Amino acid sequence: MISISLTVNKQVYQVEVEEDLRLIDFIRDKLMLTGTKEGCGEGECGACTIIMDGKTVNSCLVMAFQAHGSRITTIEGVAKDGALHPIQQAFLDVGAVQCGFCTPGMVLSAKALLDENEVPNRHQIREGISGNLCRCTGYNKIVDAIELASSYIKEGQQDETSSSGRQ
Amino acid sequence: MKKRGRGIAAAYYGTGYGNGFPDVSRARAEISKDGNIFIYIGATEVGQGAKTIFCQITAEILGVETQDIHFVCEDTSQTPDAGTAAASRQTYNSGNAVKKAAESLSQRLMEQAQNHLQLNSVHGLKLENHWVYLEDFPKKRVHFKELVKEDTLIVEETFTAQTVKMDEETGEGAPYWPYTFCCYGVEVEVDTETGEIHVIHGVCAQDVGKAINPELIEGQIEGGFAMGLGYGLMENIGLSKGEIKHNRFANYLIPTALDVPELEKIIVEDPSSTGPFGAKGIGEPVMIPAAPAILNAIYDAIGIRFYEIPVTPERVLVAIKDAQKEGKE
Repeated sequence: MISISLTVNKQVYQVEVEEDLRLIDFIRDKLMLTGTKEGCGEGECGACTIIMDGKTVNSCLVMAFQAHGSRITTIEGVAKDGALHPIQQAFLDVGAVQCGFCTPGMVLSAKALLDENEVPNRHQIREGISGNLCRCTGYNKIVDAIELASSYIKEGQQDETSSSGRQ
Repeated sequence: MKKRGRGIAAAYYGTGYGNGFPDVSRARAEISKDGNIFIYIGATEVGQGAKTIFCQITAEILGVETQDIHFVCEDTSQTPDAGTAAASRQTYNSGNAVKKAAESLSQRLMEQAQNHLQLNSVHGLKLENHWVYLEDFPKKRVHFKELVKEDTLIVEETFTAQTVKMDEETGEGAPYWPYTFCCYGVEVEVDTETGEIHVIHGVCAQDVGKAINPELIEGQIEGGFAMGLGYGLMENIGLSKGEIKHNRFANYLIPTALDVPELEKIIVEDPSSTGPFGAKGIGEPVMIPAAPAILNAIYDAIGIRFYEIPVTPERVLVAIKDAQKEGKE
């Protein structure tokens, strides 16, 4: 056993984990955050994507002990105060979800992309989610959703500045 | 050198089990004593949107909102059998079963309303917003809740598709009902140095009978196109002596977001006389024309006909070399 400390969705955990425990199993089986999905288990499909220290990783390829000292966001940590994240809202508004298995990973890849580049073009969006396989949607509506999310985020910021301006 | 070409392909597809095989869907509709509306059906939702359109169909018949429907599917201990989510049959077959069940429930509500309101007949009664009322004299009205407060109202209906087995000798018959038609056009770019093929644009025209939910139809078209693209250009299970060699995403490649082009979708509505509100299934048809359209576009680009899929870069390079050799001889 190894003792590690890490932050998942803004909550600090100090835990003992097996040396051979994968990060995805830690997230799903120990923390019971089952929104993170396991697809291929070998880093090809991206269903298990999480954000670790600002970068997307396949949580099936990271050992739990390697996450020591890191800050992790899973799909459960994306919504704020019960309100959907603009990316989640955009996925719903556009109809970018079919079976839904790739969706958590897609949303996190989109978040990592938009955190770095607020207004990506459609090719950059496609690149940003190229590590996430989707068998249902043909990606068109997912690209639409991320483009829409980008505009939601910009509008949200404008709303914030204009409301603070009024105060 | 990069060469561009355009190709089209059209397809027609018989939906449902077909060929005389019993194709049966059952659905149950209920209004519980507290006025809640339930649909029970064994149809499986796999992301195609069956749940959504069944609720839409029910809501349309009963004059309520889609979100007013409590929808129960898949649980075989609670739901009547509606066959498989296969053969592009749920919209048509189970859609018809749901429609029949909702219509039957509507009829029962009107009959109860006739008694309750002491009317001579059910003619002229309308359902709207959980009320049954007389259209010509809307004051004559009764709420669903009032009609079911003694007993839950339960109806179950069955829809069986009409298909005729083909004659084994002559091949004659009417094996499917209904048929769905589609036509795709694509533009490709072939890199003659690397053999890579990039589909740069696609236009998909799909006959749907009646679009119950256009957004879901677009999703099906886009997904089907991507599957057809993978089928035509990259997906190879590598069967060797009965063993699948390409058994993981590292060697069985499927399209990523960078492989699928922006698609133009054209929804063609020509209501089918036997479909629910004229709707037909499109789950599988949307995949079919993609690969042949791409192969036709490749021919247009480099003048080489491929008769085997997937048309991988290796196969393209070999074919280009062969064509050059033949040209020299």
